[in-house]
Amino acid sequence: MKLTVNGETHEVDVEDDMPLLWVLRDELGITGTKYGCGIAQCGACTVHMDGIAVRSCQLAAGDVTGEITTIEGLGTPTALHAVQEAWIDLQVAQCGYCQAGQIMQAASFLDLNPDPTHAQIDAAMSGNLCRCGSYPRIRDAVKSASSKLKRA
Amino acid sequence: MRALILALILAAPVAAQDIPSRDDGLAAWDEIFAVTSHPRCTNCHVGDAGVPMWNGLIYGSDTVHGMHVQAGESRVGAETMACRTCHISAQSDNATPHAPPMIDDAWRLPPTELAWLGKTSDKVCAQLRNPDTNDGFAMDELATHLETSLFVAWGFAPGAGRDEPPGTLDDMVVALKLWAAAGTPCAANP
Amino acid sequence: MGRVKTIARRSFLIGSAAIAGGVVFGTYLYKREGTNPLLADLRAGETAITPYVKIDAQGITLITPRADVGQGAWSMQAHLIVEELDIDPATATLSSGPASAIYYNGVVGVEAMPIAATSDTLLARTGRGAADVMGKLMGLHITGGSTTVPDLYDRLRMAGAVARETLIRAAMQQTGLPRDQLKTENGFVVLPDGLKIEYLDLAVLAADIEPIQDVTLREPSQWRYLTKPQKRTDVIAKSTGTQTYGIDMVMDGMVHATTRTNPALGGGLAGFDAEDARKMRGVQAVLQITGGIAVVADNTWRAFQAAQAVTCDWGPSPYIGNTSDQFAAVAASFSEDDQDSQFKDDGDVLAALEGAELVEAEYRIPYLAHAPLEPMSVVVKMTNARLDIWTGTQIPRFVQANMAKLTGMDADNIHVHVLMSGGSFGRRLEDDYIAQAVEIAMQLPDTPIKMVWQREEDFTHDFPRPLAIARAKGAVRDGAVDTFDLAIAAPSVAESSLARLGQPAIGPDVAIVAGAWDQPFDIPNYRVTGYRTPAMVPVSSWRSVGASGNGFMHESFMDEMCHAAGVDPLAERLRLCWHEPSRKVLEAVGEMSDWGSELGANRGRGLAFTLAFGVPVAEVIEVTNTEDGIRIDKVFVAAEVGRVLDPVNFEAQVQGGVIFGLGHAMNCELTYEDGVAQQDNFHVYEGMRLYQTPEITVRGLENGDKLRGIGEPGVPPAAPALANAIFAATGKRIRELPLSKSVDFV
Repeated sequence: MKLTVNGETHEVDVEDDMPLLWVLRDELGITGTKYGCGIAQCGACTVHMDGIAVRSCQLAAGDVTGEITTIEGLGTPTALHAVQEAWIDLQVAQCGYCQAGQIMQAASFLDLNPDPTHAQIDAAMSGNLCRCGSYPRIRDAVKSASSKLKRA
Repeated sequence: MRALILALILAAPVAAQDIPSRDDGLAAWDEIFAVTSHPRCTNCHVGDAGVPMWNGLIYGSDTVHGMHVQAGESRVGAETMACRTCHISAQSDNATPHAPPMIDDAWRLPPTELAWLGKTSDKVCAQLRNPDTNDGFAMDELATHLETSLFVAWGFAPGAGRDEPPGTLDDMVVALKLWAAAGTPCAANP
Repeated sequence: MGRVKTIARRSFLIGSAAIAGGVVFGTYLYKREGTNPLLADLRAGETAITPYVKIDAQGITLITPRADVGQGAWSMQAHLIVEELDIDPATATLSSGPASAIYYNGVVGVEAMPIAATSDTLLARTGRGAADVMGKLMGLHITGGSTTVPDLYDRLRMAGAVARETLIRAAMQQTGLPRDQLKTENGFVVLPDGLKIEYLDLAVLAADIEPIQDVTLREPSQWRYLTKPQKRTDVIAKSTGTQTYGIDMVMDGMVHATTRTNPALGGGLAGFDAEDARKMRGVQAVLQITGGIAVVADNTWRAFQAAQAVTCDWGPSPYIGNTSDQFAAVAASFSEDDQDSQFKDDGDVLAALEGAELVEAEYRIPYLAHAPLEPMSVVVKMTNARLDIWTGTQIPRFVQANMAKLTGMDADNIHVHVLMSGGSFGRRLEDDYIAQAVEIAMQLPDTPIKMVWQREEDFTHDFPRPLAIARAKGAVRDGAVDTFDLAIAAPSVAESSLARLGQPAIGPDVAIVAGAWDQPFDIPNYRVTGYRTPAMVPVSSWRSVGASGNGFMHESFMDEMCHAAGVDPLAERLRLCWHEPSRKVLEAVGEMSDWGSELGANRGRGLAFTLAFGVPVAEVIEVTNTEDGIRIDKVFVAAEVGRVLDPVNFEAQVQGGVIFGLGHAMNCELTYEDGVAQQDNFHVYEGMRLYQTPEITVRGLENGDKLRGIGEPGVPPAAPALANAIFAATGKRIRELPLSKSVDFV
């Protein structure tokens, strides 16, 4: 089947029910997207499908109906997305393993709701676990990214 | 007795003398309410707050959906985290316990006027028989809805050990038709 | 004494030889008070050069041997070196270096000794010196116990300074200029006329120069990085998906594997049927390993699917298998036979309790899983000649030794490449997952194998933080806490985990009472007794180790005693506290939280204080008892670390520690049935999520005389401060964790 990931189309030969997560990681070698729980409890595997955050451990390859964006496609070290900029400015990451998912969740959220309330930030970001406890900085970074995006 | 009534209903046109009695209608309503008040249904048929529930499975009762999920005014989580972020629109066997269930439709909450959680039988009865408060369904449309909705179908076969409402979807449709034929009686008012 | 030197020298040689092909700088100086004759003797002849800075034509590589498990250790180690080396840390490459005794940890051993961090007696100093010598002789290349900064603060700055001075000497040779006309600036030696010679261009010359040991470290007033907000060296990679964790290693020809071992811990594998699994797409092999099976496939998910399809005949767990029985075993170990320690016995507790009106309480804490978000994973490749291991680990040298034992290979041929860890919390002090991958590699030589555990495997094969029970008795006199008798019973982490590292566990296990026996309070009659529950399921260190649970017990009872005495919990702790830096921490948190001010209806404030890893930490938590349950509103934390080297990461580590402590206290426990952990994923082991996260205000104090690490000390006071706040808001005293058994949280 064909998958478009970060603007590039790939032909992959996988079972329909292989989760996109493992297509990305093991078939395409795109490893920024992380495996954490396999049951949509942690959010580490979050990518975008047509701009909407989805948990790639739940999205079977055969159910991919749109363009996929991973953390590598959101922005790069030399061309950062506003959310990544905020994450770097506020030094959110500790172990960092959850952060690709956190950033993808935040980017999709702010795309749909550019000027969220604090309560909405809490609701949008509570599906993503961080075991290290970087939540205070995640909160601040989402607020900061929201202001950045508004100014942009 | 019920089989006889069913036979009568199914053998439309319904003659005046074939109209089920109010008692039969109320009995049918009780069957319907046993379903609509079941956590499998009330977990999503929630009110304005847009907070779905996780009653059942291992989560006990009176348990809100984890992760602080807020479906919002949009009822699809557009303001915060879309329902479909986890509840992917896909055909799925939903066999993995504690993974988000999926259907081949956009996962969402029903409209607020169809809130059932914590509502009495009479309240839900009054709500469902009135197209103004039941999302605009006439009774025959409501029956069709039951038969075709992927949500309803999933609700009766949720998989992964999740609790199922009493009876079958067919029973539910039959009860609805009977209740409709009886003039959608509610115990509190005629 | 000669032998000590020989061993040290030999470890050095092994260490240096491993970094051939570049100029290697570094130094090590003993700078500790020399009451221990071993130390004094070593110092006399010891000028071993240790490898922390490598310069070659490609650039500057900084060796950061302490593992980064999220606490920012790589970045901090790099900043310690560059502060003296005088380069921009962003221009350097960081490497974990090889597993080597030269990277020994000279501080971590102190935690295993019954030496209070606040003690400065001859015995205490001797013990600390002995820990250093032990660390060196045993080659304890290990990360843990919040020791990275205290252990390496001098060593790494010295390594940077020696490298810089040696490069200057090279520039002197090249230019003929005297030392006092040369200075350095961001990777260059600067000549008087403003011309600059890049460090890299001096590397070849420097290689022939005996490293200059006679260096003076910069005064803190001259620092450019330390004590200023630093930019973590990994922050860009971790925000762009470009950080390579153990799970991300990719190699040519690599296959993907997963394992399934008996969920009934220690039960072994009686037999298995892999017929269906072997037919599944992509499956290359189903192999037997110790205690279970491994599937090798061409994709991790296919390996997962196939592993589930193998029918295994598991044996029964040899351990006490049910949590109620496990607690019963702990309860039964409050006996003379099982008494393990009584490091604290002030006054006369028994006499004071005799006839007094007793305050009594029993506290319980559960087993807890580490569950770092990156599941256990490793890449291995084994050939005739060598075994390579790429993974996130805190114990590279033990991995080397244990895998040598497993494979029969010479340890020198086993190369451990430490990658960034997606969390650990102590989990990566174990090497069980690595051994599994090596067992696969032994059956599939010459093939690079990536092994990844399913999350369920990770939860059900953890070495948890042990459960424990504390029994407390106390008495008040004249409106003051007078007698405080705390007995704690728990299985021994030292006994369990050291055995797996092939090390003896000598003497009492300090962890059973850590965070309780060593608190800086002058209570007239004050006793802390440890009881060692005979080993049950294997247990291990968990962020803040013994103090993680003992803080809850000690500080909950302290709160109860204060209430019994009718005194303010802060005022009473201040009255009892003899340790000045600890008093300052208590005063600070009182001021930050406006302690004593009116909070209003349904609200409460709780205080807890724990001194762990030498760091006194006080936390005040404010809660509201709402219709939907307890809401944690605010947390105030004051912590004393001697010197805050990076205020940004300091705050992050304290906040993270508080969240880790609170999240587990709220809703986490690991329970067992027939030896099988019942919590197998995050839906039943949630911890804290963002919406529950309170505002956490942190203040670092710098009144102590020693530098301390901050990765762990924020954890212990969090649970008791919360429980005490809930008591203040509701009148309900909760003596068992998780708190969610007794109250709801919003």
